[in-house]
Amino acid sequence: MAVFRDVMPAFDLLQPDSVAEATRLLDQNGAGAWIMAGGLDSFDWLKDRIKKPQVLVDLSGIGELKGIRVSSDGVEIGAMTTLTEIADHPAIQKNYSVLSDAVSVVASPQIRNQGTLGGNVSQDTRCWYYRGGWPCYRAGGNICYADTPVGRNREHAIFGADRCVAVHPSDSAPALIALDAKFVIRSAKGERTVDAEDYFIGPDVDITRLNILGPGDLLTAIRIPAAWSGAKFYFEKIRDRNVWDFPLMNVASAMEVNGGSISRIRIAASAVAPRPMRLRNVEDAVTGKPANASTGEMAGNLAVQGAVPLQFNGYKIPLMRNLVKRAIAGAPEAA
Amino acid sequence: MTEMAAVEIAKAEDQKPRPFGAGYKLIGKDYSTNDLVAKVTGTAKYAEDFRAEGMLFCRLALSPMPHGRVKRINAEKALAMPGVRGILTPDEVPGHANYVNDNGTMIKADRFSELALADEPMYQGEPILAVAAVDELTCAEAIEQIEIEMEPLPFNTDPLDSLRPGSANAREEGNVWVPNAAPSRDSHLEAVKWTDDDFAVEKEGKMPMGHAPEEWSYGDVDAGFRNAALVLDETFSTEDVSHQCLEPRTTMAYWQNGKLYLYTGTQSTMQTVPAIARWMHMPEDKVVFVSEYTGGGFGSKITGAQTLVIPALLSKKLNAPVMMRISREEEHFIGRARPGIRARTKVGFARDGRITALDMFLVSDAGSYGSNGDGGACAQITSLLYQPPAMRWRNITVATNTLPRSAQSAPGGMQAIAIVEPILSKAARKLGLDQVALRRVNCPEGKAEFGPPRPDGKRGYVTSCFLKQALDEGARQFNWDARVARQPKRVGSKVRGLGVALSTYHGGTSGFDGLLVVTPEGRVQIYSGIGNLGTEAFIDVHRAAAEVLDVPWEAVDIIWGDTSKNLPYSCHSGGSQTIHAMTRAGHAVGLECVQRLKEVAAKSLGGEAADYEVANLRVARKGGGAGMSFAQAAQAAIKLGGIYDGHDVNPQVNGYTKHSVAQLAGTGLVASARDTFPHDGDSFSFLACFAEVETDVETGKYTITDYLGYADVGTVIHPAALGGQILGRSTLGIAHAIGQKWVIDPQYGVTVAERFYQNKPPTILDVPVDMKWNALNIPDPETPVGARGCGEPPVGGGCSAILNALSDALGDNIYQRVPVNCDTILTSFEAGRPMQNPLLAHI
Amino acid sequence: MRLIQWVTDPWGQHVPAHIAWGLIWVAVIFAMLFMILHALYVAFVSGPRAFAKNTAPMAESDIPEHVPRHSLAARLFHWIMAASMLTLLVTAFLPKMGVRFNWVLYHWIAGVVLTISILFHVIHSSFFLDFWSIWPDRIDLRDAISRSLRFFGKRAPAPRRFAKYPLENKFYHLVIVIAGLAVIGTGLFMMKRIETPIFSRNPYLFSDMTWGLMYVLHGLAGVGLIALVIVHIYMGVRPEKLPITKSMIFGWMSRDFYLEEHDPERWVLDKRNADKPASSRGKRGYAPSDAD
Repeated sequence: MAVFRDVMPAFDLLQPDSVAEATRLLDQNGAGAWIMAGGLDSFDWLKDRIKKPQVLVDLSGIGELKGIRVSSDGVEIGAMTTLTEIADHPAIQKNYSVLSDAVSVVASPQIRNQGTLGGNVSQDTRCWYYRGGWPCYRAGGNICYADTPVGRNREHAIFGADRCVAVHPSDSAPALIALDAKFVIRSAKGERTVDAEDYFIGPDVDITRLNILGPGDLLTAIRIPAAWSGAKFYFEKIRDRNVWDFPLMNVASAMEVNGGSISRIRIAASAVAPRPMRLRNVEDAVTGKPANASTGEMAGNLAVQGAVPLQFNGYKIPLMRNLVKRAIAGAPEAA
Repeated sequence: MTEMAAVEIAKAEDQKPRPFGAGYKLIGKDYSTNDLVAKVTGTAKYAEDFRAEGMLFCRLALSPMPHGRVKRINAEKALAMPGVRGILTPDEVPGHANYVNDNGTMIKADRFSELALADEPMYQGEPILAVAAVDELTCAEAIEQIEIEMEPLPFNTDPLDSLRPGSANAREEGNVWVPNAAPSRDSHLEAVKWTDDDFAVEKEGKMPMGHAPEEWSYGDVDAGFRNAALVLDETFSTEDVSHQCLEPRTTMAYWQNGKLYLYTGTQSTMQTVPAIARWMHMPEDKVVFVSEYTGGGFGSKITGAQTLVIPALLSKKLNAPVMMRISREEEHFIGRARPGIRARTKVGFARDGRITALDMFLVSDAGSYGSNGDGGACAQITSLLYQPPAMRWRNITVATNTLPRSAQSAPGGMQAIAIVEPILSKAARKLGLDQVALRRVNCPEGKAEFGPPRPDGKRGYVTSCFLKQALDEGARQFNWDARVARQPKRVGSKVRGLGVALSTYHGGTSGFDGLLVVTPEGRVQIYSGIGNLGTEAFIDVHRAAAEVLDVPWEAVDIIWGDTSKNLPYSCHSGGSQTIHAMTRAGHAVGLECVQRLKEVAAKSLGGEAADYEVANLRVARKGGGAGMSFAQAAQAAIKLGGIYDGHDVNPQVNGYTKHSVAQLAGTGLVASARDTFPHDGDSFSFLACFAEVETDVETGKYTITDYLGYADVGTVIHPAALGGQILGRSTLGIAHAIGQKWVIDPQYGVTVAERFYQNKPPTILDVPVDMKWNALNIPDPETPVGARGCGEPPVGGGCSAILNALSDALGDNIYQRVPVNCDTILTSFEAGRPMQNPLLAHI
Repeated sequence: MRLIQWVTDPWGQHVPAHIAWGLIWVAVIFAMLFMILHALYVAFVSGPRAFAKNTAPMAESDIPEHVPRHSLAARLFHWIMAASMLTLLVTAFLPKMGVRFNWVLYHWIAGVVLTISILFHVIHSSFFLDFWSIWPDRIDLRDAISRSLRFFGKRAPAPRRFAKYPLENKFYHLVIVIAGLAVIGTGLFMMKRIETPIFSRNPYLFSDMTWGLMYVLHGLAGVGLIALVIVHIYMGVRPEKLPITKSMIFGWMSRDFYLEEHDPERWVLDKRNADKPASSRGKRGYAPSDAD
């Protein structure tokens, strides 16, 4: 049968106005339901007719999923809060600027106005083979087209590849890992909370999805503990275009420096692996060391140990090395 | 060079920049074009905005493979679906046939040319069939129910790979377009393979140079290299870049009283009619073509594209209007592209930087249909812009199973400048010369010569060139010397770099018609067959007629965009010809109208025509006395009839214009004229482009911090529009440098980057906030208004100014291909040599 | 039910990707049904087994109390193969049933172990053991016909006792050879699709259709092995078969069991080595050719 890549397929549109109603609908429809937040990932899939869900659950009418709640414990951000709201929020800018920095460089202003935090962390990979509807592992097939002798893989993974070499495209995810955020997931069975880094899964565990959400699960909020409030933050995203582009790489870190030494640090990178990657080896190695250029140098070198470049993405190794170095020691101009 | 030309150079040097609009009432002044309000308020109607009663929609099924044969189509299930009205298959599309247009020109059938639907698709995305239904959802669901059985055929998507021994050819007939013997201008296909020995140099990062079927030379190239102080031999590849017009080629069609009414966006209203008639195998007078607004063309919509006949054929078959909307993905496939060129260029330099010889070898990618002239234009532009005293050019144009190519702003010229400019920059560094100074010694001027000797033994030459002044003025405005002196270049990980590039392209044609009517109400109605492709030139050119008539612009109406409204034979808005060609035609019809007004006044009020003058919507005796308003003159013209009201027609004008004049006869004073002004030489426009970049060597990311395009385009007609052209087309060039590209998986020959976020055209934030432009405003001496076009010339300069600034910042061992991104910079800067394979296609 | 999962390849052509994973349950259900039916048959239908008298019984005194059946090498092979096979099945099919873990690594390593063990077995059994002892012979078939006729109440001569391996055992071996070679053959090629230190990757070694068929064959053999392994384990733990299972652990079976089930003429014991440990023997006549 011929392939056609335009015009959304017909589906039942369900628009719940509460989380309880949403989880009931998701439970009722199971794997046949498609959750839509801002729609920026969803509409691509739908208009390409690659995904044809029976039911689309549109979360835009659920007020309780929106908003930023500041307390002494930290900040809770509703999953449907737009990226623009987060970027502009004074408390986040003041105490958790790594997150406002990260979301303010997502895509373009129009997309940030529509895109949500829940959507940003739950979006699918942008591997061009997969998004083009090629029947790769991730799409249920038996091959990774990007990782072949002639595959075009400039934007693909240098770490964590397991058959699939796609990368996670989120800008906010590494910032949330750096902030030790907790993801709140609701389903008909109840509520559970997972650490930010455990929200994401690699192809070794499940090659067909990027996060732990199963049928019936709904990400409702992201909680940022106060533990890293006001820490020294770093976020840098490298992309081809200055706007409307996914990261070639981004690195986020939260660091506390006492008496010139790093007392504690969390650091993560995205677009280097199929899941946002927490760099525990770097964290361990630099803790207790001075936050200076030589520690940065060491951290950068450590970060790329074990990296496996593909034919066209070898640049990601020096890029990651330098970004991690900057996370520790700052950019050279500032040094 | 002739003695005459030497005199011209002396004159050229004396020319100084002039203020815009000096000596004119309309020309050189800013104003709002007649279509502007509709565009900014959304009331402008593009093809997709039209509706007709009972209109059906049609959508296309595209070839999934780069080369295949359709063996069987089973649409039974689709046709049985509610709402599906019919399908159109390749056997229902008129085939290749000879065609004689209304101008009497014979267009020979070309069996290699594209048809609207293909039963042997030559590229992935080529339309195979169309389905019409009551709505697009039904079309989509119907297409998914159609079985298309295809046999995959051998394919090749990489031109160099196609020249390897034993590789597959794009077509059964061969892989290389070889020109037929003169005087034919056609080509034929041959199978050409180079040897393993030819390819041996590939290992050194150099482009192999095997047999090339096209070649010319002039001067003593070998002596030029022998006498050179420095010889550089560089390999460089330019990227295939899609046109990406914001308005895809959506088309609506219906039939009424035996006439085809067709709505789509093109670069020419008038010249698209014969194209439609030829593709439909029908007479031109049965075609009504409507194209009021076009969302960009860049050379890809010059006279429309074959796919526009699909709704016309379906409409005829189903007896209902049919709208064919084209998605962004479909536009990527059928929307044309610039051919990428792989080049090996050897250039000799004297100690002062003067080029002594230039030897250029090109592999041009022709894509899936027909040959193209980009390789040839590349050489012509090189020979003009850098004036090498001796030059050899060799070229091989290779067919591949990739998207069909067409002209894209500065076809060949953009590639030439991107290929040669980095070599000039490298030479300046090696010779210890200032970049501007090296370009100044090689700069063309006056009636500069270009290309190989013609059959008469003489080389072609331009009408005029003041590029040296543009370079000097530009360097001054850009503070070039101060920027060069600024230290340090590197602060932390950030390194600054400065780039300058020369740029040129054709600036116009001649010989078209103007048509206007002075109405009995006293208004001046100017008819235009130019396509409104988004640039303001299509209105600006008529200011030349209004200027001659000395009428306020408010009294002028422009009628365009619908061939039923009696339009004249106009140029198409391609090749930067509009401003040049149509200000000439406008000037001609303005003069013709003035003369007829005077004659009407003389006949009505007595005396000789020469006793009268035309100004401010009146024709009156010189020095005061009897006169009449334009309204009165138009009424008098109608009474007089004959040549005055269009019942007789100016015999010099084109057949299409004559037809329109006949339709307008009796509606007022009808004036038509053909541009017969002489000119010696070809019109070219020139720019000097300057850029500064700041590169972060730790991330490879660079920012363009400043840009200036300084133009030598003759008289400035509409400053704001010219600024838009210079900066807009510079941005197109910058796009080539910084990111726009194709990505094709060679195993399947299938593109993986058909969306904007994947093929990365630049955004407004990728260029400096405050890009600057300026122009000399020195009139071209060989055209009455003095104006030349500026659509194409900035493209190569925009690209190369950035490339040169990058190599100024980072050294010569960074890039051998465009686009240059952080991957190129990071890996090469660290290794100290270019790390990206310059020859591999579509990465 | 759909047997194959089809996908549309980059050229829009429909090619198989793998088996429909629902076949896993078909295999499990088939094995369960077999077990139930077999258990019912043994409990309620089948009578005591009747064998023809051994025509030339070996002197009982010649038969050692522990009849050696499987050498140490053969037993090691069996259990290594079993472990790798179980690992392969678990790593292949648990993820398809929703249990998520890094399965590919374990799967291909187990596959390599299985392949090496099978290679060893082929060489070992071909050159050092009684190669033919595991393949059905004419007597097996004649006896099978006799048993069937007798089951349906027809007159037929009593079947002889078994040679070293009962016919069911031989058939099982035959089927598992086919399924095993299919998974190994396809599996080895499939390793070209993934990153391993053994082969250089080349996912484009074959056409999409050939690869697809290979994945389907691998999958079909794989689900076949689910059923075969379940049935095998079931047989292994049945009380009447325990002596055979034990012999795969300890290397010997009792003289009584030997005499009750086996025909010393068809499974001739080598007296010279009868009292030596099983692991040191390897001559035709009694040494094992193990594939069960």
